[in-house]
Amino acid sequence: MKAGRHPPMRIDTIIDERIEAMKVTVLQETLAHGLSIVSRAVSPRSTLPVLSNVLVATDEGRLRLSATNLELGITCWIGAKIEEEGSTTVPARTFVDLVGTLPAEQVSLNLNTTTQSLNVRAGASNTDIKCIDSQEFPPMPVPEMDSAFQINVADFKEIIQQVAFAASTDEARPVLMGVLMNVEGDKLTMAAADGFRLSVRHATLSTSAPQALSAIIPARALNELARITAEGGEMISMVLPKGRGQVVFRVKDAELVSQLIDGVFPDYQQIIPRAYKSRTILSTQSLLKACKQAEIFAREGSNVARFNIKSSGDLEPGSVEISAQSEETGSNETIVSATIDGVGLLIAFNVRFLREVLEVVRSPNVALETSAANSPGVIRPVGSDDFLHVIMPMHLG
Amino acid sequence: MPAKILHLDLDAFFCAVEELSSPGLREKPFAVGGRPDQRGVVASCSYAARRLGIHSAMPMSRALRLCPELVIVPGHHRAYGEASKQVMERLEAVTGLVEIISIDEAFLDVSDLPESGEIIARRLQTQVMNELKLPCSLGVASNKLVAKIANDVGKKAAKGNAPPCAITIVPPGQEAAFLAPLPTEILWGVGPKTAARLAELGIHTIGELARWPEADLAKRFGESGADLSRHAHGLDDRPVSSGHEMKSVSQETTFVRDVRDDQMLEKKVRELSAQVGRRLRKTGLAGTTVRIKLRWPDFNSLTRQVRLVSPTNSDEEIAKAALALLGKARAPGKSVRLIGVGVSGLGEPVRQLLLWDNGSEKARKLEATLDKLQERFGDKVIRRGRIPEPADEAGDGPKNVCGRRITSNLEGYPSATYQGRTIYFCTEFCLEAFRRDPDRFYLAHSRKRS
Repeated sequence: MKAGRHPPMRIDTIIDERIEAMKVTVLQETLAHGLSIVSRAVSPRSTLPVLSNVLVATDEGRLRLSATNLELGITCWIGAKIEEEGSTTVPARTFVDLVGTLPAEQVSLNLNTTTQSLNVRAGASNTDIKCIDSQEFPPMPVPEMDSAFQINVADFKEIIQQVAFAASTDEARPVLMGVLMNVEGDKLTMAAADGFRLSVRHATLSTSAPQALSAIIPARALNELARITAEGGEMISMVLPKGRGQVVFRVKDAELVSQLIDGVFPDYQQIIPRAYKSRTILSTQSLLKACKQAEIFAREGSNVARFNIKSSGDLEPGSVEISAQSEETGSNETIVSATIDGVGLLIAFNVRFLREVLEVVRSPNVALETSAANSPGVIRPVGSDDFLHVIMPMHLG
Repeated sequence: MPAKILHLDLDAFFCAVEELSSPGLREKPFAVGGRPDQRGVVASCSYAARRLGIHSAMPMSRALRLCPELVIVPGHHRAYGEASKQVMERLEAVTGLVEIISIDEAFLDVSDLPESGEIIARRLQTQVMNELKLPCSLGVASNKLVAKIANDVGKKAAKGNAPPCAITIVPPGQEAAFLAPLPTEILWGVGPKTAARLAELGIHTIGELARWPEADLAKRFGESGADLSRHAHGLDDRPVSSGHEMKSVSQETTFVRDVRDDQMLEKKVRELSAQVGRRLRKTGLAGTTVRIKLRWPDFNSLTRQVRLVSPTNSDEEIAKAALALLGKARAPGKSVRLIGVGVSGLGEPVRQLLLWDNGSEKARKLEATLDKLQERFGDKVIRRGRIPEPADEAGDGPKNVCGRRITSNLEGYPSATYQGRTIYFCTEFCLEAFRRDPDRFYLAHSRKRS
């Protein structure tokens, strides 16, 4: 099987009729950028040696770079001057390290198909890299982008960043390592939870999706997607090819394929508290700074920081005292002024969890809704109801 | 004003104590340890034996091959413990800041004393020799790392069959220069693996290590890379801590016969986890890091650890983490000689609550109830169903190795598994003695009962 987007017939013809000897010229900067995009999908310690390699192939006037670890595959297309068509797979680490040190000028890649040796020339540098035949590279699916669904929201990257961090890294619970993505009409909802916290983000699509869809996408794949998506409103197309258990995302010059996670996502609606006993409004930045300071000490031990929410009567502003201590390094306390609607409370949180959510809250003020020391706290941006985050507190002794 | 730190190490301590009762051994090659036909190892050996290439932890059978006339002396561990106590008492009379590292080694912080480190070292050496007839060597430097290495180097430089009685001084400011020509392995934290990785970079001496960019070491070795660099420059700011603060809770067991049965190991891990969990709960602590220790039949050991999201003192959680580590570190069916479970990163028992309860709260309540019952009525009143009862009291009870009896609860004592029973010992020394000749003690005990 030949990887690539060519119709198979054409490739067979090429192989049969002449010795394929890929010859291309590409700008060092372009090549380095392309490799940085795909190399994240390389699996360095695979039992299949070809998975440590990057597929380099000419493809309709451009150069195609692909890498896959069989769960996640990333392809990108870069501009190149193609003199002769061809393809091979290049050891990723060697190639990335080499290209990173080449001068910022034209790099010529010249493949000797008999020896599978790729000659890389730039300036005074002349390198031969031992490659593996591209026929050994696993075929990457060619999605029918006709049925693609356009995620036409300006801030998909931001949506991923607000949700994916809450997914679990515990391989014992694969479903929680994913992000639930639901689309119904023009409503997009994404949710992730690791058992301790839950992040939910809603968005409205500018055009309705043709049909409802629901899938659990590995958080890792979405994080990579966010990484290769430029800031701003880049259009992202998405396809769930039927019966393959995969999702394909296409951005301008890149494509990401990921296996979906099989399973039932927990009913997260049940977890979201319906009411609260106090609502504390704080400056997002002040609270974030206080959490970062507390974390310096909390991280030595159990990551616990205490939040003493002090309500002081109707007319006076309240405050939240955030404190953490470590046996070894010392202790820290910050008082952040706050508007408190409700009763005071001493509650403890894993301060890393709180810091991580505050880092993705975009509004200047944030609300912390609490009920009791052992009940979930809810973080919401003030002035927008498209995002919410639930954090379970820590039980003190 | 630089600190004045002393490192004191008793010279061939067990042997020195033996020579006190058997002067005929003096300057002869002899070793304290177990019988070669019982997997005995060299616990300590005289300097005459060391000259022949024998060293501690070497299997006794190999030591005998190196020196067929080697005299093997069975250990008298109570005598060693008593002698060690005498030495440490004398150290503590000099300063309150004494950190006892082991039975024959200690750090002293004498920064606040007016005399020089060297004078204090000489006085201590003379005092321990005159009053206890025990030779010792000292290293003097501005920090623990350099003091310890200085002492090791000084002792190694001594020749002949007499104890080295060395005193090695590294003046303040000379730390890096002193360390520079030494091999990297001598540094704390540089084991054979790290040394090999350093050698790949062309780093063989501490001086070469010190010249390597710290940032690059940090990149290659993670957090310990920065430590490596600091240590290579002779920098070490760890205090001499006399505190007896608990840093970790662990429990391990040596199998008298190597175990390869997966289920038996799992059972043992659950037992050890339950012991560790209970000890943590009793002291009101919880820890964030769970680790396991394994020793293979060839004596190679490894430890593996994992950091949890939130501190734990739950038997179940410790066991779950330990079993996951075991699964990664050991292929099914591989024989194990020793297994241990430990929890570190200790602090207050805060617990991360869960969005949806997976039964852990219930398990926690069950543990609390079990703890209370066991506290009131003793260990055997109730146990988790998964851990079968030990066969009978004979199997469970402490063995009469040294004559001492353990009467309080058995937690925290070293244990061994023999003929399917867990047997507890008052000290590691007794465990070793038992391991060398299990049948002797085991049968003796059984006979007494019948």
